[in-house]
Amino acid sequence: MIDTVLFLLVDGLTNGLVYALLALSLVLVFTVTRVVNIAQGEYVMLGALTLADLLQGRMPGTLYLLIGGLVLCIVLDAGRWRRDWRQALLYTTGLIVAGVAALALTRCALALHLPVIGMMLVALILVAPLGALIYRFTVHPIPNATTIVFVIISVGVSMSLQGVALLIWGANPYPVDPIAAGGLMMGPVFIPYQSFAILITALLAMGGLYVFSEFTLLGKALQASAMNRLGAQFCGIPVNMTGALAFLLAAAFSAVSGMLLAPLITANYEMGFMVGLKGFVGGAMGGLIDYPLSLVGVMIVGGLESTSAYVASAYRDVLVFSLLIPILLWRNTRSRVEARR
Amino acid sequence: MRVISVVSALAALAMSATAFATDKPELRIGSVVAMTGPASALGLPEKNALELLQEQIAKDTNLPFTVKFITYDDASDPTKAVNNVRKLITEDQVHVVICCSTTPTSMAILETVTQAKVPNISLALGQSVIEPVKDRHWIFKTPSTDQLQVSGLVDDMVKRGIKKVAFLGLEDSFGEGGWIALQSVAKAKGVEIVASERFSRTDTNFTPQALKVRQSNPGAVYIHAIPPSSALVHQALKRVGYSGPIYHSGGSANNAFISIGKQDVEGALLGTTPVLVYTDLPDSNPLKPVIAKFAALYEKRFNVPKVDIFPGQSWDAGNIALKAAEEVVKAGGKLDDLDASRAALRDKIEGIKEFVGVGGIFNYSPTDHLGLDQRSTFISVVKNGEFRLYESK
Repeated sequence: MIDTVLFLLVDGLTNGLVYALLALSLVLVFTVTRVVNIAQGEYVMLGALTLADLLQGRMPGTLYLLIGGLVLCIVLDAGRWRRDWRQALLYTTGLIVAGVAALALTRCALALHLPVIGMMLVALILVAPLGALIYRFTVHPIPNATTIVFVIISVGVSMSLQGVALLIWGANPYPVDPIAAGGLMMGPVFIPYQSFAILITALLAMGGLYVFSEFTLLGKALQASAMNRLGAQFCGIPVNMTGALAFLLAAAFSAVSGMLLAPLITANYEMGFMVGLKGFVGGAMGGLIDYPLSLVGVMIVGGLESTSAYVASAYRDVLVFSLLIPILLWRNTRSRVEARR
Repeated sequence: MRVISVVSALAALAMSATAFATDKPELRIGSVVAMTGPASALGLPEKNALELLQEQIAKDTNLPFTVKFITYDDASDPTKAVNNVRKLITEDQVHVVICCSTTPTSMAILETVTQAKVPNISLALGQSVIEPVKDRHWIFKTPSTDQLQVSGLVDDMVKRGIKKVAFLGLEDSFGEGGWIALQSVAKAKGVEIVASERFSRTDTNFTPQALKVRQSNPGAVYIHAIPPSSALVHQALKRVGYSGPIYHSGGSANNAFISIGKQDVEGALLGTTPVLVYTDLPDSNPLKPVIAKFAALYEKRFNVPKVDIFPGQSWDAGNIALKAAEEVVKAGGKLDDLDASRAALRDKIEGIKEFVGVGGIFNYSPTDHLGLDQRSTFISVVKNGEFRLYESK
C-alpha cells in the first residue's frame, strides 16, 4: 500500500512540475499580452522533436520553421523600406544573420556530437524564437483585438503547428535519450534520474524567471506591461517588444518541459496539446495571473491525474478536466468577495 | 524513307498489339486506399503493392483477360471513400472494388457496394466490416482480426496454465476492439479477466495503471495499443515490479516498439501475421515461399529494408480478385456482361479454398468472409531486439 502511494506521489510530482513550466508560460503570456495561448503545448512538442532530431544527428525540421518564419518577417516588413530604408536594411540584415547563425550553430552542434545538455541548449535556441515569430504574425498585427479573438487565433496556431509537425516529422514516435540514464531505488520505488532532472530544471527555470523580472531592466519592462499596458506605453516601454519577449520566454519554458518529458514518453507530433491543456487547468487556479497559485494548481492536477489513473483509469482525463469547474466557481466567489470590499 | 518505314512498322506493331488486346476481355479492378491523411502509413504501402501487382501481371500473358487497375485516394476520409467508390462503380465500371484501408472508411462504403451489387474486398482490421455475414453479402476482407490474434495469444496462456489475465488498452476504438475480443475469447477459453485499465496515446504517465494491474495479481497481462504507448506501458509494468509474461496485440508488431522499449521489451509476446516472422517458419510451411517471393519483389521494387504487414493485404486482395476472375472466365462467364460477371465474381471469391496468400491461407465460405484460421496467426517474441517466431505451429 505504502509503495503505491509513494509511486503515485513521485509521478504526480514529476508530471506536476512539467505542467508547472507550462502554467508559467501561460501566465507569462497572458499577463503581458492578454492572450490565452491554447497553442502553448505545441512548443512542448517542437522542443521534444527538435531535441530528438539533434540527438540522432539529423538537421532538425525546426530550422525550416525558423528560417521560413524569418523570411516571412522580412516580407511583412517590406513597407518599411519606403519610410526608412536604413532601418529596414538593418532589420533585414539582422534577421538574415540570425538565420545563418542558427544554421551554423546547428551544424556545429551536430559535428561536435554535444552531450544531451548541450543539445538541449541548441534546441532551445532554435525553438524559443518561434514564439516571438508567432507573436509577430498573430498578435502584433491586431493589438486591440478582444481576448476571445486571441483564443480562436491560438487554436488555429495550435492546429497549424501540429499539421506542420506531422508534415515534417511524420506520425512516428522518436525515442529521446535522458540526461542521465538509469535511476535510484528509494525504498520500494524506482525513480528515474530524469525525474530529478525535471525537478532541478523546473526550479532553476522558475528562479531564473523571478530573478530576471525583479532585477533586470527588461524584466521590469515585462512586469510593467503586465500590470498596465497603456501606462507602460506612456512610460516609453515598447509593449510590442515586451509582448514578443513574453512569447519567446514562454516558448523557451515550454520547450524545456518538452525536452524533459520526451525521454519518459518519446517525442511525437501530438504530444503537446494535452500537456498544454493540463497546464492550463493548473494555471486557471491562479486565474492565469497568479504564479504561486498556478503552481499549487498544477501540483493538484498532477496529483489528481496520477491518483485517478490508479483508481479509475478510464475516467482520469474526465476527472482532471472536471477540476476546472470547482476552480472557476472558487475564483468567481473570490473575485466577488474582493469586489465587495 | 527509312524513317517512314520504321514509323509504319511501329504503327503496325501497335495496331497488332491493340488487336491482340481486344480479343481478350478486360477485367477492371478498382481500389480506394488512404494514400494521404492519418491512415497513409497503411494506404501508401497498399497502393504500392497494387502497383507492383499490376506490373507483374503485365508480363503474364497466360491470363484469359487483360487487367486494368484504377486506384483512387480517399485521404482517410469516409465521405471521400464513398464518392470514389461510387465513381469506380458507375463511371469506371469496375468488376470488383478493393476498399478501404481503415475500418471507418470500409464501414462507410458498405451501403454503396451492396446496393450496386459489386463485390468488395476490404483491407480493414475490424471484424464489423464482414459481420454479420448475411448483411455483408458482397464484402470480404484480407487482414486478420483482433479476435483471431487474441485467440492465439489466449491459447498460449492456457497452455502455460495461466488462469487470470489483466487487460491494458487504448481508450479509443482500437483499444475497444481489443477489449471486446479479449472478453469473448477469455470467456470461451475459461480465463478470468482480473483488471481492465485504459490509457490514451498522449498520456504522460502510465505507472498508476501498471500498479493497479500488478496488484490484481494476474498470471499474464495483455496490452492492446500501438507504440509509443504500448512500449511505455510495458516499461511501466517492469518499473512497478511485474515480472510475468506480457502479451501485445499486432498493433505493436513494428520497429518503433523495439526502438522505444529497448531492453525492457525483451521477451514481449506479440500476436502477428506471418509476414513478420516468415523467415523463421519451417520450410514445410506453405506460406513461406509465397511470402518470401512477395517480400523479395516488394523490397526490390520500392527499396525498403523489410516489408511490413500492410502491402501484403492489398496484394492478397488483388490476387484473390484475379483468381476469382479466372474461375469466372473458365466457367464460361463473360466479363463484358457487367452485372452478371460482378455476381459471378462474388460467388467465386466466396468459393476460394486453400488460397495461400501473404497474410495467410484463405478459405472463404458463405458463413466466413474473413477466410483465415489459426494457421495464419503466429506469436512472435522480442529476442535481442528482433521479432522472432515464438513457437512453430
